[in-house]
Amino acid sequence: MARCFLSIYCPDIVSDRLTRLVEWCDRYSPLVAQDGCNGIILDITGCAHLFGGEGPLLLDLQRRLHRMGIESHGAIADTWGAAWALARYGGSFIVHGENTRAALDPLPVEALRLPNEIVLELRRLGLVTIAALRKIPRNSLSVRFGSTLLRRLDQALDQAADPLTPWRSPAAYRTSRILAEPVSTVGSVEYVLHDLLKEICTQLEKNHLGSRRMDLVCYRVDGTVDRCEVRTSKPNRAISHLMRLFSGRLEKLWADFGFETFVLSVQDVEALHPTQLSLSPFETTGEEESFDLLVDRLGMRLGFAAVNRIRVLESYLPEHAVELRPAAASTLASAEWPAYRVRPIRLIDPPMPIQVSILIPGGSPVQFLIEQKQHRIVRSEGPERLTTEWWREPSSRYGTRDYYRIEDDKGFRFWIFCDQFEHWFLHGHFA
Amino acid sequence: MPRRIVWCVAQKKTLGSASQLVVGNGIELESKLSDPMGNKRRILCYADRWMLANPVVDILRLRISSLEETQRRFSRTILIADAVDRWLPHGGLSAGCIHEVKGTTLANAIAFSAILSSRLAGDQGNVLYISSDRSLHPLGLLPYGVKLNQMLHVSARRHADLAWAVMEALRCSQVSSVIALLDGLDLTESRRLQLAAEASGATGFLLGHAASAPIASPITRWRVSSAIGKSGERFDGPLWDLDLLYCRGGSPGKWTVEWRDHKLNAIPTQQINLATGEALAG
Repeated sequence: MARCFLSIYCPDIVSDRLTRLVEWCDRYSPLVAQDGCNGIILDITGCAHLFGGEGPLLLDLQRRLHRMGIESHGAIADTWGAAWALARYGGSFIVHGENTRAALDPLPVEALRLPNEIVLELRRLGLVTIAALRKIPRNSLSVRFGSTLLRRLDQALDQAADPLTPWRSPAAYRTSRILAEPVSTVGSVEYVLHDLLKEICTQLEKNHLGSRRMDLVCYRVDGTVDRCEVRTSKPNRAISHLMRLFSGRLEKLWADFGFETFVLSVQDVEALHPTQLSLSPFETTGEEESFDLLVDRLGMRLGFAAVNRIRVLESYLPEHAVELRPAAASTLASAEWPAYRVRPIRLIDPPMPIQVSILIPGGSPVQFLIEQKQHRIVRSEGPERLTTEWWREPSSRYGTRDYYRIEDDKGFRFWIFCDQFEHWFLHGHFA
Repeated sequence: MPRRIVWCVAQKKTLGSASQLVVGNGIELESKLSDPMGNKRRILCYADRWMLANPVVDILRLRISSLEETQRRFSRTILIADAVDRWLPHGGLSAGCIHEVKGTTLANAIAFSAILSSRLAGDQGNVLYISSDRSLHPLGLLPYGVKLNQMLHVSARRHADLAWAVMEALRCSQVSSVIALLDGLDLTESRRLQLAAEASGATGFLLGHAASAPIASPITRWRVSSAIGKSGERFDGPLWDLDLLYCRGGSPGKWTVEWRDHKLNAIPTQQINLATGEALAG
């Protein structure tokens, strides 16, 4: 199938404006890339009919750019190279198939996206137009100018591949709404979003997929873009669930003069197989979902790294024994913790140096000082010896540790240890 | 010793009407009555210590309480220890409420609420631990019956995020309890938490250091402090002085409890009614 490229040339645009414009051009096609320092290239293959054809699309784009106060030239052709050339040097705007050669022939050689030195060289030789260039045998061209010139020529005439790297990889599922009138209230955005979600979720359901990350892009009238993203801890395609996740975000959108176009795309999909509905009225499946929704809502506001499940690891060292693993990540098997190894409820990180007095060398401590406060030890249990794990670098700082559980005369309980170098540290509090 | 009088009120669509006067020891009187719709309703039991004098006032009190308290709050309770449960107005600590737990060390407060949470969660429920730091060592909770695979550890740095997270968690009907290190709540915030807990049935334990400011309106407020005077050389489960500083619909109390063999055992001491200062037996 013939491809279709739209090149836009904006002679005097500032670079950061251009980047925003690239983002804005997403409304026409998912494959958009910045083209040099003053142009944009869109792959509009299969997109034109959504706007009533190629002509109306180009017209619509240019009219909107004109309204933003941006001077632009645009052209549509079968190849990136041809569209580029026509937008900058051409007279006609939409060229397809056999007409491409004829349209390109009168154009100057600069239209081939060539480096400056090659252009100068060509001009010195009197090769001013593409037509003149094409009359020269290919062999002599490649001998004189290397492969660049021929490649550019072939790319313009659809004889060589010319891949386009979009600024953002296109989403597998994407749907959009263009409104007749701009909207600016949360209620109306919600209405549109619901409509979009219904469409996307139906598609996802058909393919047994669920979304992990969704992206709503809202295009303002003045050509700027606002977006909000929703992540879920498990693949999901329930409209009500996603609506609730979006609802917190929608209030933060800044409508300004109003939004006129909305694009909803699914960035990450995962398999989600349909579940059997229960016939029994006592089994409600909604319960499970309400907890997932809670995890998602907490994750959306606090960050998914802040919502964790607890996983016990195969290590006796207190700082390596437990891993807080994001609830959104897949669950891994947790180790079994032996009950005889008693651990404190709160851990002090890093361990706090303390002074301890001992009556007999190597015996258990009798009193200790924390921040100049003296604690007399009335009960102690230990030592529990924890040796270093050689495969961990930082744990060797203390070397072999001897842990004691102690209770002071006020009834407070502590977990202290003595390291290899006879330094004492407070490492935790017991209840 | 005054005789214990138990008022039973059948909760109907209309105001709760005092119907029966039962004299005895039983607190867990189960309902045998049906309401007009044919549904079995639980009878609300009030073990009475402070309303002995005037039955008319008592009936009025019960009517008011049946108006303002939801059915749920009475229907599920967490058992602490025998002596403590007998003291509490509903035969145990009410679930679906906000309880404040102060500890002389934070570890005490965490351990006490972990015991209650694990009893409430059973095999299915979800327990959320919400705090601003990551000092919790989950392995330390294992002796208190907590199942780590039921726990969700949430950390939030700012107070506003913390309060929001607790609120969201309490709203979820799939959550059995929330343990949160959260203090400095104003009246509106704590009232909102209470309403969220009532609606979903989740129980909230708001933890704080004994010295920190109390939150505005919990259902009960506890202080858990390490008790002195343990005998023996062994390092057993903790011994706590448990102070019930405030209890809605009940009176303050004080016990010494010990955690042993997965049970909290109250060690008999003389109980003092803090309100009146007089000693009350058992």
